[in-house]
Amino acid sequence: MAFKPSMRRSLKLEEVEINMTPIMNLMVVLIPLLLTSAQFIKIGVIELNLPPAVGTAVSQLEAPKESAKKLDLAITITNKGFFISSSLAILRNVSGEGPSIPLNQDGTYNFADLSNKLFELKRKAVNNFSDTDKIVIQAEPEIDYQLLVSTLDASRTVEKDGKKYTLFPDVSLAAGVI
Amino acid sequence: MAYIPSRIKRHDNNPGKVSVNLTSMMDMFTIILVFLLKSYSTEGSLIQPSDFLTLPTSTIEQSPEVALDLVISKEWVMVNHDPVEKVSSILAQESLIVKSLQEKLAVYSREAKRMEETFGTKFSGKVTIQGDKDISYRLLVKVMATCGKSDYPNMRLVVYKKSE
Repeated sequence: MAFKPSMRRSLKLEEVEINMTPIMNLMVVLIPLLLTSAQFIKIGVIELNLPPAVGTAVSQLEAPKESAKKLDLAITITNKGFFISSSLAILRNVSGEGPSIPLNQDGTYNFADLSNKLFELKRKAVNNFSDTDKIVIQAEPEIDYQLLVSTLDASRTVEKDGKKYTLFPDVSLAAGVI
Repeated sequence: MAYIPSRIKRHDNNPGKVSVNLTSMMDMFTIILVFLLKSYSTEGSLIQPSDFLTLPTSTIEQSPEVALDLVISKEWVMVNHDPVEKVSSILAQESLIVKSLQEKLAVYSREAKRMEETFGTKFSGKVTIQGDKDISYRLLVKVMATCGKSDYPNMRLVVYKKSE
């Protein structure tokens, strides 16, 4: 075997570097492009469909009743809490008087209880009534808009054990006492 | 013992090519890129939220569509950015229907119906309502009743989607 001189002296440990320039170019173009088209605030809409107004509200109320049993579920938002009522009865709270879902101790509205109660109602009603998607929401005149929207949220869906359940997505607003 | 550089290293004052280490910069860019791609939407925004008001937040998933634009700010009710009536005067009046708003909406619905006849674009009676989060239910009901009375029964309440 021929003598092979040691390479140790002449061997240069050369670091191989990837040429980053094209990637940098790509980034410089992509990032401004995406920055301009990014949406940081997402906007949604809540759909409320009314029948086109014909006649007065009173005549609509007295429309002939259909033969199917109707639930006619309604939530009334007051400054004491939520009242839940249907064609059958008004839901009472534990003490038997006052709103169905009273305010929390600190004066905030109890949306979690409202959702849970409606979930119970929906489960009981779903086979017995024809209008288990519909709900009427009315409020006292001074109730603010955010509270109304939060109530709509609470009555639309509920999350239980990581699963989402639909409650009453078909919402109508009633004018109430204006 | 202190480090004593070898003779060669001691005189190697000119190392030749200097290369910038780009790795950390690349990391940063990658993270920004992923974040931006996540918030990228192909639709763009169909509704521009008006100034002077804060929309309420909601958990709804539904996305907006183009429709007649009705704004209820703290002081004015506006249709397509045209001030129509002062909020205080709406609240002061007794009747449920707001006359001036009804007239304004009638103008738009007449125009839309004429468009329907001549160009075949469907008049759907859709209106998007952007209300400030502090407006009262009384005001909202009055505006909505007026919309319902003037050929715009399909109302959409514009809200901010709650970020998860």
